[in-house]
Amino acid sequence: MGKRVAIIASSGGLETAYKVFNIALAAAAMESEVGIFFTFEGLPIIHKDGPSMLKLKPENAPMEEGFKRTNVPPIQDLIQMAKESGVRLIGCQMTVDALGWKPEDFIDGVEFAGAATFVEFAQDAQVTLSF
Amino acid sequence: MTVQELLQKADKVVDATGLSCPMPVVRAKKAIDALSSGQILVVQATDRGSLKDIPAWAKQAGHELMETHEADGTFVYVIRKR
Repeated sequence: MGKRVAIIASSGGLETAYKVFNIALAAAAMESEVGIFFTFEGLPIIHKDGPSMLKLKPENAPMEEGFKRTNVPPIQDLIQMAKESGVRLIGCQMTVDALGWKPEDFIDGVEFAGAATFVEFAQDAQVTLSF
Repeated sequence: MTVQELLQKADKVVDATGLSCPMPVVRAKKAIDALSSGQILVVQATDRGSLKDIPAWAKQAGHELMETHEADGTFVYVIRKR
């Protein structure tokens, strides 16, 4: 109890989205407080157009068939479950500004902040992961 | 003990068969939240990773994994809520 997991999602692609949310959901199910900082190429994961922006890398294309066969839920479902589990979704304000995006371009429930916010959250985390 | 006997012990049953990681623990957590202390949750899963994941989840959350049963590729876990 009282454990905390801090995750940085700074890479692109659907692969990253699944890696991040699988770990986040497992951690939340294990009673950990979870926060994810989406920055640089990781930012589209929480964009409203995420489903069309997130693609598997060409070399991972065969996974698409495998995902279907093993009943891997759509990434939007995992994000929704994470929100319901109280996972904090933090969008990097600097990346948002640099890309010329707006807060309303993102899914509901995302907060926007900078590196210091993540560091402050991670200072008290037992587990910090970067994807 | 047969699966049928295990299911009869349950205050709640989660059918996570056909679901991949991390869904068995996500479903288990959601279900156990609705139970009272001491009540029994039975989780059914086909994900082979659940053999390690359910014990890890139970240990971390403080619940007691009372029994693990395997039959025909389906794993059945009996968990007593903390």
